[in-house]
Amino acid sequence: MKRDRAWLLLYLATVIAATLIHDPRWLAVGLALVVLLAGREAGVLLRRAVLSVLAFNTLISLSYLGMAWWRDFSPWQTLLLLNLRVLLLTCLTFLFITRVNLFQALDFSRSLTYVLGLAYSQALTFSRAHDDFRYALASRSLQRPGLLDRYRASAAAVSWFIEKSLHAATQSSQALRSRGFFHD
Amino acid sequence: MTELRYRVVKPAPAGAQDADPVLAMVGVEHRYGAAEVLCGIDFVVHPAEKVVLLGCNGSGKSTLLKILNGLIAPTSGRFLYQGEEITPARLKIPALHRRFRSEVALLFQNPDAMLFNPTVFDEIAFGPRQTGLADVAERVRHWADQVGVSQHLKRPPFTLSGGEKQKVCLAALLALEPKVLLLDEPTAALDPRSTGWLVDFLSGLPITTLTTTHNLSLAPELGSRALVLGEDHRLIHDGSLHALLTDMERLAAANLVHTHRHRHGDIEHRHTHVHDWQ
Repeated sequence: MKRDRAWLLLYLATVIAATLIHDPRWLAVGLALVVLLAGREAGVLLRRAVLSVLAFNTLISLSYLGMAWWRDFSPWQTLLLLNLRVLLLTCLTFLFITRVNLFQALDFSRSLTYVLGLAYSQALTFSRAHDDFRYALASRSLQRPGLLDRYRASAAAVSWFIEKSLHAATQSSQALRSRGFFHD
Repeated sequence: MTELRYRVVKPAPAGAQDADPVLAMVGVEHRYGAAEVLCGIDFVVHPAEKVVLLGCNGSGKSTLLKILNGLIAPTSGRFLYQGEEITPARLKIPALHRRFRSEVALLFQNPDAMLFNPTVFDEIAFGPRQTGLADVAERVRHWADQVGVSQHLKRPPFTLSGGEKQKVCLAALLALEPKVLLLDEPTAALDPRSTGWLVDFLSGLPITTLTTTHNLSLAPELGSRALVLGEDHRLIHDGSLHALLTDMERLAAANLVHTHRHRHGDIEHRHTHVHDWQ
């Protein structure tokens, strides 16, 4: 069995385990192990993971706190469990995609490799476009852009991404159909 | 085979070459992770020069423009604007940031990346409004008229065609009357008529322009001096565009010309040449 495929299986098993474990201490141990495995990139990995989940977890945590206050029960165990689990899974996924060649891990399946190729090319295109949107606003701003300008720039970018995604999805499915990928 | 057509581009004003450089790259190198995208780049650009930056896809043209616009810092080496070093960190100095951003403008290859205001009027007014000028509306109408989008001032920019969007972006940048205009493949999304309009418009602008393109047949229309980035991400030519266009060996080294089999009447042969294409 190839190394990358072995890592993929280990990753999937760990994801399942992390969702079945309900003791925050074990999740904390798992998180510590993942951070240790990252070695010198541990700080970057942790920072990236925290920033990625910050908005979503804060919203969920505050909502749960509000509900706990309203119904008068202690929320801390659940909140700790939830945040640790999300952070562990995020760190694990970021570490996995930087260390493992997904194309080699999935090369046993032509279909999965196709899907991965499409997703990867879309991600690269969108990443470059996202940089361009960010740079364009910076380039045109003589002073720090105001909240309204930043909101408008973000809305324009999101709208462009949605439009491009729909267009790209249509093109991709047509290209795959043209190459005989779908048999309907 | 298509012959290259030459057109005399208005030379820089007398004495411009003696003036201090407006842009200077000194030993610039840049990497994205392990990938080298620019290597040992040295050149200067004088006021009112029209420079064309040529290179095949992936040679580092867009990265070079981003460094020239202070959006990214070179991994090593220095970029100077009017003798002052420019990096994203140095642009945190408010006075320098304000001066540089109002004097050096970048037209992105994808106009959609630049458009986010509710109307074309607001889009063009975005820059001037930040300067606190009293004649914002007058400036907007002037530049909308110059680029030919006056009839669209009340429309959202997202509803315009690719060529119209490009014109709105240009008007939005020119409304600040920059001293340097950097253009990243400005004709990539334009139809032939709009390309002709842009060539005429740019040649009449009395400012420094640096335009990237991989379209060799269009290059002489955009400037008289060429900088060429090779596939090894080094500057392999800095000089007359005319001299470059007669140097097939150098053009081939930069992957700007190609060889394929073709026919002239009954004769079939191969040679290196260039096509007109967008």
